[in-house]
Amino acid sequence: MRMDPTPPTALSSKPPIELQYIQYDHSLEAQYLPAIRALISKDLSEPYSIYVYRYFLYQWGHLCYMALNPIDSSLVGVIICKLEHHVSHSPPTHRGYIAMLAVSAPFRGQKVATSLVEKAIDAMAQKNADEIVLETEETNVPAMRLYERLGFLRSKKLHRYYLNGNSAYRLVLLLRHIDPDAAADYALDDDKDYIM
Amino acid sequence: MDMSIDHPGPAHPSHTYSEPPPPPPPPMISSEGVVATDITQKFLSAAATLDPGQLVKDGFFTLFEAVGALEIMDSKMDSGCLAPGESLDDEYDFTRQLLPSEVIGIIDQLLCLEMAWHLGYPLSQTLLTSVYIEAMLMPSPNNIQEAHFIRDPNSKAAKDPMTTVLRAYCLGLLKACYYVNEHIKNEHYYEEEDFVTNTYHRSLLDNMDREEIREEIMSARRLVHSLRPDLAAGVADALCFRLELRTAFLRAIELSELRSNPESLSLPWVQMQAVWEPINKSRHLSTPVPEAFSTKIQRRLASTVPPRPIVQPSFEETYEHFKRLFRDGIDVLEVLNYADSQSLLQNFVLTFQARKPQPLVYIRTMLQSFLFKDMVILGHLSIRHVMDDDLSMVVLPGSQLLDPANDAVEAPHDGRFAVAHQMETFRQRAAQSYLDIFRALCQNRCRVRRTLCHSIQDWEAVQMEAEDIDQLLQIQLDEQPLAYPADAPPGSPPAYSLPLSSWAYLYKLRLMEWIVQLGFELQIYQADELAGMYWYLSHLAKTRARHVERIQAFTVKRNADLRGARSPRYTVAMEAEYARSMRYLRATLLDAVITWELAEALSCLYTALLRLGLVAPPPRPYSADELRYDIRMKPFAAVRLPDLPTFDEFTRQSEQTGVSTARLLEYAHAVSRSAQKGHVVVGQMSEQEAFSVGAHDRWAARAKQRMQSVIAVNVALSTMQSGLGKAGLGGSGADADGAGERARRVLKAEVPKPEACYHDWWIVPKISLLL
Repeated sequence: MRMDPTPPTALSSKPPIELQYIQYDHSLEAQYLPAIRALISKDLSEPYSIYVYRYFLYQWGHLCYMALNPIDSSLVGVIICKLEHHVSHSPPTHRGYIAMLAVSAPFRGQKVATSLVEKAIDAMAQKNADEIVLETEETNVPAMRLYERLGFLRSKKLHRYYLNGNSAYRLVLLLRHIDPDAAADYALDDDKDYIM
Repeated sequence: MDMSIDHPGPAHPSHTYSEPPPPPPPPMISSEGVVATDITQKFLSAAATLDPGQLVKDGFFTLFEAVGALEIMDSKMDSGCLAPGESLDDEYDFTRQLLPSEVIGIIDQLLCLEMAWHLGYPLSQTLLTSVYIEAMLMPSPNNIQEAHFIRDPNSKAAKDPMTTVLRAYCLGLLKACYYVNEHIKNEHYYEEEDFVTNTYHRSLLDNMDREEIREEIMSARRLVHSLRPDLAAGVADALCFRLELRTAFLRAIELSELRSNPESLSLPWVQMQAVWEPINKSRHLSTPVPEAFSTKIQRRLASTVPPRPIVQPSFEETYEHFKRLFRDGIDVLEVLNYADSQSLLQNFVLTFQARKPQPLVYIRTMLQSFLFKDMVILGHLSIRHVMDDDLSMVVLPGSQLLDPANDAVEAPHDGRFAVAHQMETFRQRAAQSYLDIFRALCQNRCRVRRTLCHSIQDWEAVQMEAEDIDQLLQIQLDEQPLAYPADAPPGSPPAYSLPLSSWAYLYKLRLMEWIVQLGFELQIYQADELAGMYWYLSHLAKTRARHVERIQAFTVKRNADLRGARSPRYTVAMEAEYARSMRYLRATLLDAVITWELAEALSCLYTALLRLGLVAPPPRPYSADELRYDIRMKPFAAVRLPDLPTFDEFTRQSEQTGVSTARLLEYAHAVSRSAQKGHVVVGQMSEQEAFSVGAHDRWAARAKQRMQSVIAVNVALSTMQSGLGKAGLGGSGADADGAGERARRVLKAEVPKPEACYHDWWIVPKISLLL
């Protein structure tokens, strides 16, 4: 099972409303975790177990942001990340990883995903991330456009990365210079550092 | 382990869940030797000390475990979870009498599933969804008689003719799958990415004798012939062709182990091609039997995941895939006709693997086994033979360094003894790196690029170590230095040929070019990066051209020295080696120059498009240009020769600030026209001149695609120039304020996907006039 953080989005003609963006906190689990799971599972052929969500949210709840509908506080979008010292190449980088991103269909096309990603990048940058990476399905053009508009570059292509047989791109946003003499290269990483 | 549970109770007033119904009473467990203890209360009281959702985990609980965890009673995770009224298994009556058309239907569905497996989907979602295959494999048969859907050999149903035909087909199918699976496992491939070799503890008739299986298929064919009068028109043939496909496939596999002459090995492949068309045309005779396939069988396999859907390409897709498989199976055999090392690497392996779609993993591993099996190249050549052939062609024609007689010298004071020793040290160091290039090229395209990124670091080391050996050898041979380059400033140190490190450097440069070019093919680069990446490619190709010229200079000099001295050592054989080497150097120089020129033309064109805003970079609020350069050039950062240009150098070279846009386009036109002239020569090359023996058609096709790319660049440049003229932006006008806005009213640029280009390494923008 692999993660495509951003399911395909579709344009919506609904007029935008001012959404409320809040940082996740463990005390919100009962209120929002079922909705988070439902929103993210919608576009997945294989669901993640509750442990996957808790793995991220319990350790990096502060890197999870939710977009809420101000009318009823219902969940409209969510981004889930982690930030760790990445040890598979030297020197270890402080690497942020965007694991999941989802926006509910009626609210797509309103830059909700972009706002969520921006908040996550800001939070990771503030926690001294050296870089932020993610994988996205090669057919998911809107997601790639979203990340590339923000400054991500494709560093490599991963053949048949997903269960459905589709390939992925690894996208990287470098936030600070890493000593090239010491760092192994991005094209060399083992992709299986994150998920399986 | 995650110990979190959601539980009701007054201890957690913040809880918003509604009160669940009371749990059912625990089942009464009683069994001899088992003492059951009810731990419900203990568990609940221990769990009550946790908050809902609280994660108690140690440092060893990783994301891998989290992803691998299952939720009991979730039907998408729990393989034993059944919907109300759902049965664990399907009931299928194997004694039912199958109609001939149903047998064709089942076989055709099996063909689609077999192809899905070849394409990389697991057996569990493909062939092992067939109830007939499951019945044949479980319980595991001990002999060919037991390999039957109906294990009672005396039952009437077991002898039913149509059941017999289907059984023979399945025997042939499974045995072929066994060989394919074993074959792939023996070579380099990526599990789950290229292929899934898991058989879920099913034996694919591993121990059954190939001959016995063939005999069963032959006897089934005889049976069909005997029934012919009673069968509807075409049905007997349809069944026979399908059975024949199985025998031919087994035969093809058997022969490929021989690595002998391609003509004889290709016979069963040709036969498969021949029956494939009538199989396709007789599809209308089939009646599907959907109940003969079930996802539920997955619950019986050695796997924890719940049943996943059957993966089945349409018959049309299957038809195309098999057709390509057979064609690739025939073409790959050509590799066994070894002509020379460069034809093998550059032209056979490179062009074969560049095919779109890429040959299936079975064919790619077959190529690997032809190349490397038992460390014997193509079944009859030593690694040393191929490597020495290559060294002779690239840097050391007619050289005493490669004289096999050196090995026989036993006197340590004899110079040849030292030469033999040094050369052997070099071969031992470089052989693996050399073979790794071939191996890398046999992988999927994404992996080719990533593997080459590793290889260049290895070649960097090979080159350095080779230079040490070169220096020892030049003393040993008392090599006379050469003033090189000819225009070197006075006082420059004289140059030595450094043949071994020159050879390594040439490979490293080619690998670096391929990494960049595969970046275009795999769409790694965004549109606004193309100006810079084509500049870098031109920089690498130019470096290669200069390096080849250097090798040429030394080869010419050595040759002239030999001829001038009228040395008795200068034999006819040596002369032929020199001639071949010069021919090779000419061909590779021409290739490097065309690459350099075409890349430079494209770089200039994209730079002009960027200046005018016809290609626009995304806003990128979070990224700095220099940091993106770090990411982009990371594969090359560890290489010292050629050193990675600094970011400033790169920017200056690719942006060409100070050069007017009009001049940029003129220059692009000039280099592109020069590339076109070079191509006229390329177009006339024979397979001996191009070093494409055995792969000349594919080589020529790619050369032609590159030529078409050159022409497309010329057209794009002319359209640009005429558009700018129409917008009144001729001459310095294109650099005036507001020029971009005016240009965009007249011109439109579109960066096509690689598959829409003539050549997937040459992304030529489509420029159109709006007026």
